Amino acid sequence: MKDILTPRERFGLLVIDEKPDRCNVLPLVTSHAATVKGMRLRDYYTDGEKMARAQIAALETYGHDAVSIFSEVGIIAEAMGTEFEYPENDLPIQRKPVLEKCAIDDVECPDPINDGRLPVYMEAIEYAYDALGDRVPILAYVPAPFTTGMMLSNPNKFLIQTIREPEAVGRILDKSLRAAIDLCYHIIDKGGLPLIVDPLASSSVVSPATFRRYALPYERRLVQFLHRYDLDVILHICGDTAPILELLPETRADLISIDQVSLAKTQEVLSGKMRLIGNYDTSKLAFSAAEEIAREVREMVRLGMTTKKGYIAATGCEVPVHAPIPNVMAFVNAAKESGWYWV
Amino acid sequence: MFEDIAPAKIGLEEWSRQFACVSDDLIRRYTYYGNNEWGIYLSPPATFMVYGARELKKLKYDNSLAALRLWGFTFNESERLFRARQNGMRVIATMGDLGTVPVIVMAFPSCIPFYPDCTWWTPFFNESTVLLDKASELGVPEASCFVRSSLAAFYKRAYFPKPEALFASTGASCDDYSALMQMVQDLGHDLTWLEIPYRRQRHEEDDPEEFCGTEQGYQYAARFDNYLANEYRRVWDKMRALTGNGDTAELKRSIRKANRLRRLVAKIKKTAGQASVAPFPALEMMVVEFGNLYGYGDIDEWTDIVEMVHNTVSERAAKGTGVLGPDAVPIAWITPTADPLLLNVAENLGARIVETEYVINQAHVEIDENIDPFLALARSFMNASLIGSTSERVRRIRDSVNQGRIKGVIISNMLGCSHCAMETRLIEEKLKDLPVLSIDVPAPMGITEQLRTRISAFMETLR
Amino acid sequence: MQLIGYTCSYIPVELLALTGFRPYRLLHGDVDSSKRGEKFVRVDACPMVKSNLDHIFRNQNDFAALVGSTGCDMSRRMLDVAAENTRIPVLVFNNPRTDNRTIFHDEIDWLTQRLERLSRRQFNPASIQNEVTKWESMRVELRTIDERRAANPSQVSTASFHEVMTAYCQGAFDRDVSICRERADRPRVYLLGSAITYESNAILRLIEDHLRIVGDFNCGLSRALDIRIQEPTLAGIEETYYGQPPCVFKRPDRRFIDHVRDETRRLNCTGVVAWTLDYCDAYEFELRKIERTIDLPVLRIRSDFSLQGSSQLRTRIEAFVEMLCSKT
Repeated sequence: MKDILTPRERFGLLVIDEKPDRCNVLPLVTSHAATVKGMRLRDYYTDGEKMARAQIAALETYGHDAVSIFSEVGIIAEAMGTEFEYPENDLPIQRKPVLEKCAIDDVECPDPINDGRLPVYMEAIEYAYDALGDRVPILAYVPAPFTTGMMLSNPNKFLIQTIREPEAVGRILDKSLRAAIDLCYHIIDKGGLPLIVDPLASSSVVSPATFRRYALPYERRLVQFLHRYDLDVILHICGDTAPILELLPETRADLISIDQVSLAKTQEVLSGKMRLIGNYDTSKLAFSAAEEIAREVREMVRLGMTTKKGYIAATGCEVPVHAPIPNVMAFVNAAKESGWYWV
Repeated sequence: MFEDIAPAKIGLEEWSRQFACVSDDLIRRYTYYGNNEWGIYLSPPATFMVYGARELKKLKYDNSLAALRLWGFTFNESERLFRARQNGMRVIATMGDLGTVPVIVMAFPSCIPFYPDCTWWTPFFNESTVLLDKASELGVPEASCFVRSSLAAFYKRAYFPKPEALFASTGASCDDYSALMQMVQDLGHDLTWLEIPYRRQRHEEDDPEEFCGTEQGYQYAARFDNYLANEYRRVWDKMRALTGNGDTAELKRSIRKANRLRRLVAKIKKTAGQASVAPFPALEMMVVEFGNLYGYGDIDEWTDIVEMVHNTVSERAAKGTGVLGPDAVPIAWITPTADPLLLNVAENLGARIVETEYVINQAHVEIDENIDPFLALARSFMNASLIGSTSERVRRIRDSVNQGRIKGVIISNMLGCSHCAMETRLIEEKLKDLPVLSIDVPAPMGITEQLRTRISAFMETLR
Repeated sequence: MQLIGYTCSYIPVELLALTGFRPYRLLHGDVDSSKRGEKFVRVDACPMVKSNLDHIFRNQNDFAALVGSTGCDMSRRMLDVAAENTRIPVLVFNNPRTDNRTIFHDEIDWLTQRLERLSRRQFNPASIQNEVTKWESMRVELRTIDERRAANPSQVSTASFHEVMTAYCQGAFDRDVSICRERADRPRVYLLGSAITYESNAILRLIEDHLRIVGDFNCGLSRALDIRIQEPTLAGIEETYYGQPPCVFKRPDRRFIDHVRDETRRLNCTGVVAWTLDYCDAYEFELRKIERTIDLPVLRIRSDFSLQGSSQLRTRIEAFVEMLCSKT
């Protein structure tokens, strides 16, 4: 069936509790866009215009429902001083956390216009918004304070600190929150919709107790900040979130993007409370046959569409950089075909 | 924070910075339909830009709390209409009459009137051809009024919910409006047609006893009041059948509410027009004026906002402060521009818009509260801008010219709009003793340097 | 004899004629006069309106009055422009777009009174009957020609029919309305759209080089023949003019669409030619619906009266003919 609405119109209806023509389809096409465009990864994440062009190319190829301005979660930490290396054909690799060089009180909140690769993000958002903003939501992924905090430190040390030095962690997270809010200000003024990502708060990484104590309060404060703008907030947590499902509504996010957790189980807990986004296994996008992907996606979408608060058909995590294009296409087409609400 | 702020026009980013200082309590204070969850609307322009209103980045806004409320409320209208339906209210579309039928609709409990016609601004605010392209696909000629975007909005069902009833006024109205409403009906909507009579001027030979006049000096055959009153009774009957209610005391109450709003807006216009410095920008003033049509679907909240605008304007006028320089040249603006940016452009180039004729004169006159309400509504509508002659339409502008209040006139035209095509030369002729600039409102994203230069050169001639 | 100009098929010519002035339908349209008309209105006004304004302005002494209606917005406003630029008395009557018989009757009564005052004549039953008879007999004669046009095979071209209808529209009873036989076996088409102006005959001929127009619903052609006054009284006039097949401006448009569909079927048409003037929005809006409803191929011709693109138009017509022939 032919789309009746633009992705912008479709998303607009979803967030005011109206059924759009079909469910939104949002594979998390981030750095994979460079593959679609035939671009070196380093070009993608170091040049805003190239990042935006790659995203637009991916959108034209797949016909999904949003642009995803993102490369990796270290973006704020990098702007605060964490050092990375930039392989030509791989994502940046953390080399030296800033907190190994100085104390958190000496770390400055970054200026999104000048520091690190935040200007790359700004340029990408601006370019994509100018090109497509009337028709397509421009999602700008913002690392949550907990994830940024961990990227500012040595991760092992940071996790130990959560037990031994909660105050120190609090200071790191406070500063990370300020940095995230500053970034959001700029994203919003460029027309991007901040999407909070907190992969390192996943139950695959930290215990539910740590999540509740450190990650959740900062997620909530970031959400509250965005709610002041009356924006609809998406929170994405990769990996396993089964142990923390009950806690997720406390973040006050409007939409929750899930990964390695049963969609049915998530619905049991969250169906009437949050809009769900998810959660096709991304490894299958890389390794399965297109027909199998299509079949499984259809099943997923049929189930997802029964979510009371609304549903976006998505991958559980980022589409792998080198996932075969026909596989991603199979995902999008199957989700579109089986996701119709309007008769 | 807003108490100490000096009046100014600020951009979107400045508004975002200013909004950072707005307390959560203040944000929670203002809601529509009294709902504290989704009814909050106090958001800066950036919010609506994030949701696709791309032109907002180019606009300059008044920096008052009143303006913040005004923008938040009006940009929230789409959501407000959907929320209304979700909460059991009836959403009723009114088209073509611009200002009268909503007064009847508002007399019914939980009935929300709106004007799909107002979607004509959407392609401009969004800098988008999405709706216009869809209208073309649906068979609307491209050389017709931008109001064609409303047909696409009906088709898409993403800008307002499917209305439970639709009242479409035709007759002495634009042809493309009428044709468009027909296409809306063909989409399967429950549409009731209403007849708008042409307000024929009284000839010397006519029997004066058969004629009546409005406060604004329009004279017409008295029987036209009855025609219209009967049409409004049909609206009433239709609404009564739809809702199972219908109390004329409520209609009188609705008229009083409409009058209160209209009086407030009249006061604002007068105060703003007479102030030594423009106390409020033209763009926000246009939004205020158009609010008279239907209170943007929540007349109580809108009136409260307009009250705040009035206070802001009055305070600034009393202090002699404002948003434009004292040397801004007073002009009149005839016919509303579909592209809001044009008003900003004109002000940036030195204009101060003190008089307007936005084809909604009927929504500015008070409705008689002491006679049969349907007759009163009919009489108020007989002041409509487009149902009579051009000379009647420009009379108010002419009066302002005579009083020396304005130094020039800008007429904004829409290509393919029947009244623009026919009236503009006449208006120019009627106002030939002062400079008149006639401009065509270009398609979205079409304001060129050439157009700015024309306005700039015009402003130079007025100085 | 001075003229009384009028603009709309809903204005009873019998009443206009009762004034003693000659009813003259304002149906001028050619490139030059349209261009000159831009002195009064913008370039994006209807080309016929512009031509008419030019004609009125240049011949203002010929007109005793102008009578218009609210049928079409530009046409209504044309009289506003004429009133401002000439001294010709102007009368505009409310022709309701919706089904509102009361307004129509009241307005015809008003028009009658105003015409009486204008002409300083009393329209009495006898004079009304006399005028109705005169015009009805003219229409009877014209209907005979129209029937020959509609015959299968068609015996009269629409270009020739247009010439005799011009005499009717200009109230020229003295003109010869006889027509020679012009049998044609070309594809039978129905004509729709904007008014056919007095100067548009060449375009009709161009179309009929390849097609035969056997029926139409255009002002300036056969619409006037739908007026069949049974009762030669004022009430009879009102009733007949009100009840004529509705024009494209009437709301809702169902009866108009049905009428067109029925006529194309009755006349065994294999296609439709839709002739619309620039900025004539009403027809442009309706055309897609007409296409859907009548289920016949439609050739759209958009015109500003210019014949500059006539070779291109000829090619389009030829292609249309080929298409019609391949369908049959």
